[in-house]
Amino acid sequence: MATNKYEPRILGFLCNWCCYTAADSAGVGRYQYPPNLRVIRIMCTGRLDPSFPLEALATGADGVFVGGCHPGECHYQDGNYHALVSAALVHEGMEMLGVRKERFLIDWASAAEGPHFVKIITDFTRQVTELGPLGKAEGRDAKRLRRRLSMAAAAARGRKVRTGLINAAREMMKGRDFSREGIAGLVRDKCGRSLETALGDRAGR
Amino acid sequence: MRQYAARLPGVVYAADNLYTCSQDTQRHIAEMIDRHRLNRVVVAACTPRTHEPLFQATLRAAGLNRSLFEMANIRDQCSWVHMNEPEAATEKAKDLVRMAVTKAAYLVPLAEQSLPVTGSALVIGGGVAGITAALTVADQGYECVLVERGKDLGGQALKLTADRNGQDPREKVAALIRQVEGHPRIRVLKRAEVSLISGYVGNFTSTVATDSGNQSVKHGVTVLATGGHPYCPGGRYLYGKSPRVMTQLELEARLASDDPLPPDAGQVVMIQCVGSRGEDLAYCSRVCCGQALKNAIRLKRARPDLGVVILYRDMRAYGFLEDDYQEARRMGVIFLRYSPERPPRVLEEEDRGGTLTVRAWDPLIGEDVEFRTDMLVLSVGVVPEDQRDLAGMLKVPVTEDGFLLEAHVKLRPVDLPVDGVYVCGLAHSPRSIDESIAQAQAAAARACRSLARGSIVPEPIVSSVDEEKCVGCGACERFCPYKAIRLHKEGKKCKARTITASCKGCGICASRCPTMAIDMGRFTCEGIMAQIHAFSEREETNGNQ
Ligand SMILES: Cc1cc2nc3c(=O)[nH]c(=O)nc-3n(C[C@H](O)[C@H](O)[C@H](O)COP(=O)(O)OP(=O)(O)OC[C@H]3O[C@@H](n4cnc5c(N)ncnc54)[C@H](O)[C@@H]3O)c2cc1C
Repeated sequence: MATNKYEPRILGFLCNWCCYTAADSAGVGRYQYPPNLRVIRIMCTGRLDPSFPLEALATGADGVFVGGCHPGECHYQDGNYHALVSAALVHEGMEMLGVRKERFLIDWASAAEGPHFVKIITDFTRQVTELGPLGKAEGRDAKRLRRRLSMAAAAARGRKVRTGLINAAREMMKGRDFSREGIAGLVRDKCGRSLETALGDRAGR
Repeated sequence: MRQYAARLPGVVYAADNLYTCSQDTQRHIAEMIDRHRLNRVVVAACTPRTHEPLFQATLRAAGLNRSLFEMANIRDQCSWVHMNEPEAATEKAKDLVRMAVTKAAYLVPLAEQSLPVTGSALVIGGGVAGITAALTVADQGYECVLVERGKDLGGQALKLTADRNGQDPREKVAALIRQVEGHPRIRVLKRAEVSLISGYVGNFTSTVATDSGNQSVKHGVTVLATGGHPYCPGGRYLYGKSPRVMTQLELEARLASDDPLPPDAGQVVMIQCVGSRGEDLAYCSRVCCGQALKNAIRLKRARPDLGVVILYRDMRAYGFLEDDYQEARRMGVIFLRYSPERPPRVLEEEDRGGTLTVRAWDPLIGEDVEFRTDMLVLSVGVVPEDQRDLAGMLKVPVTEDGFLLEAHVKLRPVDLPVDGVYVCGLAHSPRSIDESIAQAQAAAARACRSLARGSIVPEPIVSSVDEEKCVGCGACERFCPYKAIRLHKEGKKCKARTITASCKGCGICASRCPTMAIDMGRFTCEGIMAQIHAFSEREETNGNQ
């Protein structure tokens, strides 16, 4: 495109049953939204490996969106709660690296909520546009940030961090506290140290 | 787009078609698979949610495993939502196609499995829709359980005392009820409610709570016909305050009673769209205009000298109802339009024995018009029964208005998005008795389609475990919502193994596995990573420009 206007690159992971369907129904209704989102369909947000959003940010995305069913309405019962655990790790990693957390969003739209999906994407696109390309709002070198995000993605694939996620998920299911703050606290507790070590050691700060 | 796609790595043949889903194109795809010895097929078109099965059938017919297929959604999620930005939309479509082609390279053939189907149906809701669905299923030779919450079958239809041809629907409904209750293959459970449903197409198990305790029902398909009820006008237009104000259904009851009208009545006014179309109900209830016409004609037939006025926003007398509209006009019914900004007002005059005065703004003459009326009839809409519990258990979507949402408005109008679950009647949308019956027959026919095959071949999107990598921690077993993955002893070590018949393909086990030993069919880690990298590629090419 020959325009000078900054167009953010946004990758989305949408679950088949709710958000992906909402996106289709937005199309059927001809609701318009910014053309920045690219979608990867997954059956359930429970499939979201914690490394996927980090990998996307590491390789070229300026923003990542994960869209599932409303809490309690997951087609597979608990998938979106597990997605919240994975998402909490993504946010934790972003914070450690000084990447603006607003670049990653996990939100819900039911199959019947085409207009709501459109609003989420429109708002998120505006938000990422305001942040600018990765590194701009952060005031850091983009290449270096992406390299470190790539380490975070590798750490998210590593056994230590993933074992922490298992423990966090176990406590979440036991306590049945599915609040974002609650889950973020659990994930920080169980994975924070190993994530920091992985980033610290291998980043060679 | 075609040229772009043709240059992507791995692509040996690219074509564009006017209708990729047409019969001709299916033949063409099969021919090209054969001629070019294709082993992956990517279609860039509408959405896999509706059309993937069609293309997969083509692949199978051409001898390819159906898992070797991928779709790029460039219509519903691209051209249709970026209609005013064609260039940006084209760029997006290129990205989506590149991502799909890249993923396709990582697809592998997956083994199919066939699961037996329980040859019976569960129908929930015993109104005309549910009764019709049950009879249609049972008449095709399948067992059926019909669950009704109330103490009687029949539902709303029993409140209607005449149809537009002057016949009493209650007689027909009574005959239907006798038929369904006497049917050798139908078990009717009244004062019963479904408290639990689990399973999937072919293999549902439900718990039905009845007066005599819980019953467990096994069924292959589920039909939802939970219906609706009239909207309650609350205190609007003196409803509930003056005995002269009633709804159309209450008028129907009176018209069938011994004293249909007060002896000295000279005037009846009806108000359409009470609570509908942007008020408490956002939608048009479709039946109320026809019902008002029908009842106006009944009044005029009974008492030709009676004045009847219908205050309306738009008369939606679709189809043959147009004849009723003409007939009503011919008989002298007065139609007066009102706008929602200036709704009619009603005053009760105590000194005149409680008669009512209705004042309405007539936009044609630009003045208020007044009617002193003996009866005021409110046309209220249809409110769906609260289906959130059932919908939650079955994981089927409910619209903002509370109706069940079909899988596709044109292509799958009576299927719900969950396989083996169907909908009919007022639970789906406001509709007349005949429309409910037609829809119930459609839902039953679709339901029987699943039953008739005797077995189902679910999508092979299931997990698999790499036993080399598995450390036997049991996280997958703990988190699987379907108990579809279990640890078993392998020598001295524990290893996880998928029970494929139970696996639904959510992927929780894969994303929680500490050693990434678990992967999902068609949604492999490798494949999704490739998609992510394909997404990112463009930036580099752009950066070089
Ligand atoms: C105000 C109004 C006016 C109408 N006017 C006309 C008209 O003039 N002409 C015309 O042709 N049609 C009219 N209709 C429509 C007509 O009544 C319906 O199309 C027809 O009766 C079919 O209804 P149904 O079977 O879908 O639902 P219903 O008749 O509502 O039956 C649903 C049944 O399911 C039961 N049920 C609900 N939830 C559960 C549950 N969880 N478990 C078990 N059982 C449950 C209910 O008790 C009920 O018996 C009108 C409807 C309304 C509401």
